[in-house]
Amino acid sequence: MFDRDAWLEIFNTVLSNPLRTGLTGLSIALGIFILVVMQGLGSGLESGVQETFGDNAANVMEVRTGNAQLAFRGRKPNRRVELHNPDEQALKNELDTMPSWSRLVYRWGSTVQYGNQQGSYNVRGVDPDQSEIGLVKLTAGRFVSPYDLAQERKVAVIGAQLVQDLYPKGTDPAAVVGTFIQLRGIQFAVIGAFDQSGSRWENRSVYVPFSTAQSLFQNDDVVSRVSIGTGDAEIEETRETSVSMLGWLKDRLVVHPDDAEGVWVENRNEEAEIFRQIFQGIRLFVWFVGLMTLLAGAMGVANIMAIVVRERTKEIGIRKALGATGSRIVGQIIQEAVFLMLISGCVGLLAGIWLLQGIAPFVEHDFFSNPKVNFETAMLALFILVTVGVISAVGPAVRAVSIRPVEALRDE
Amino acid sequence: MDVLKGIDCKIDAGELVAIMGSSGSGKSTLLNVLGLLDDFDQGSYHLDGMNMKGLSEKQAAKYRSEFLGFVFQSFNLIHYKTAMENVALPLYYQGVNRRKRQELALQFLKKVGLEAWYNHLPNQMSGGQKQRVAIARALISNPRVILADEPTGALDSKTSNEVMELLKSINKEGITIVVVTHENEIAAQCHRIIRLRDGQIENE
Repeated sequence: MFDRDAWLEIFNTVLSNPLRTGLTGLSIALGIFILVVMQGLGSGLESGVQETFGDNAANVMEVRTGNAQLAFRGRKPNRRVELHNPDEQALKNELDTMPSWSRLVYRWGSTVQYGNQQGSYNVRGVDPDQSEIGLVKLTAGRFVSPYDLAQERKVAVIGAQLVQDLYPKGTDPAAVVGTFIQLRGIQFAVIGAFDQSGSRWENRSVYVPFSTAQSLFQNDDVVSRVSIGTGDAEIEETRETSVSMLGWLKDRLVVHPDDAEGVWVENRNEEAEIFRQIFQGIRLFVWFVGLMTLLAGAMGVANIMAIVVRERTKEIGIRKALGATGSRIVGQIIQEAVFLMLISGCVGLLAGIWLLQGIAPFVEHDFFSNPKVNFETAMLALFILVTVGVISAVGPAVRAVSIRPVEALRDE
Repeated sequence: MDVLKGIDCKIDAGELVAIMGSSGSGKSTLLNVLGLLDDFDQGSYHLDGMNMKGLSEKQAAKYRSEFLGFVFQSFNLIHYKTAMENVALPLYYQGVNRRKRQELALQFLKKVGLEAWYNHLPNQMSGGQKQRVAIARALISNPRVILADEPTGALDSKTSNEVMELLKSINKEGITIVVVTHENEIAAQCHRIIRLRDGQIENE
């Protein structure tokens, strides 16, 4: 394999037959190139759709309360059900540890003022985990920390709309960190800014520590909502959790088991599941296209190899007459094929990656962004093509070697 | 189907023998057998006193490269290799190192008067030159026997004679030469003529 002479013989053969080399190389390079580009486009489609719709779905469950419709255990119908801090604490203790957990209180339409500018925005008191649950995309500074929470610090993380509305035109998000705003008349330090691009609603929000919001903006310990991140738990598991959680909450908050309005647990994993299926479909499609490309490429390679070897029947006869054994000739053909296909496969791979890298920055579409190529997939495809190439070369080579040289050398 | 039936002949070392016969007379098959390129069902073939019956492919390749050199009607040079590389190729399969191969190849090209053409590709040479390169290639492994299949079949009479002169001078050095031909004037230059007809020796 590492015989210098054998390699020289191979280089010589490969380089002195540019047409043959070119055709074989092209068929492999093209196969890999198309596969890589298809994979890239597929992943671009997937991440594009993910970015556009993905925010709506999440691995999150939400606990909310409303008005109980039915009388239960001596309680009147049509009464307000509230979740208080002790209820929330008990719920948290009741459940196994969840990947993330955030209490929320809302103050819609709160006046926020910076300098002379002011506007009406939504204030949300949250726990640090909200950053993870809400997939908050920070553009500067940091999110609410456990320390902020413990100290009830008056700090705020503001949305992109506030930066645009309240600050001088073109203010960099980083520049708002450290400034002070008036929230419902109380001074808060801005510690961060975020931008949920595409969502005006989210960008009109201000996050403050839950404890701060509860103590400053309301005179009770009501929790408006609890958001629970379910991590990568299976959909079935989250269904079970949400059902048992609802049962427990109804019991604790004295809501009739059949009451649909008093308290509910919304499992947004259900929506996420639909998206998962859509992505699975896209991935399946991309795989299917890739497989077909690979098949077409493999057939092309097999064809070319068969033709190339047949074309060399005479040369094989000569080599045999000059003292080469059949296995040595087959070995050389295989070595040549692998060498040539690996090189051209890498060329195709690089060309495909280069194309994707080249076009990616210029394509901005709702359903397309950030195309990526799975390197392992590309390598696997290369391996398959080379294997197919070798197998399709071995057949004709063995046949060519088994032809008696005088027959192979006979003049037509 | 039996192609050769009852070939009984002996070619001594140092002979220059012509095999003649019309097409289908079995001369190609005989050459195949002599050249260890084809096996045979019955009978025996002794080369240098050794029985060549039932050789494995590897053994046949070994004996071919040790004992035999081939010259073909259509030269059968490898078209993408230079004259020197073509001449050196048998030594590659004998495991001779590259430098030694090239040295010997030049030496044998000189012997056939083509050392100045060492770097030319076959399609840059005339038919006679190509056949001389092929003869140099047949000689390089120091064979005992050269099997020439219609060596002048593709050449005009002048170059044919040059090639025959070359073969005769090689024969004088003690190498046995078997020439398959259908040209009487070529056969006439050999020591002995074996005429084949329907797989049998018609006369000698």
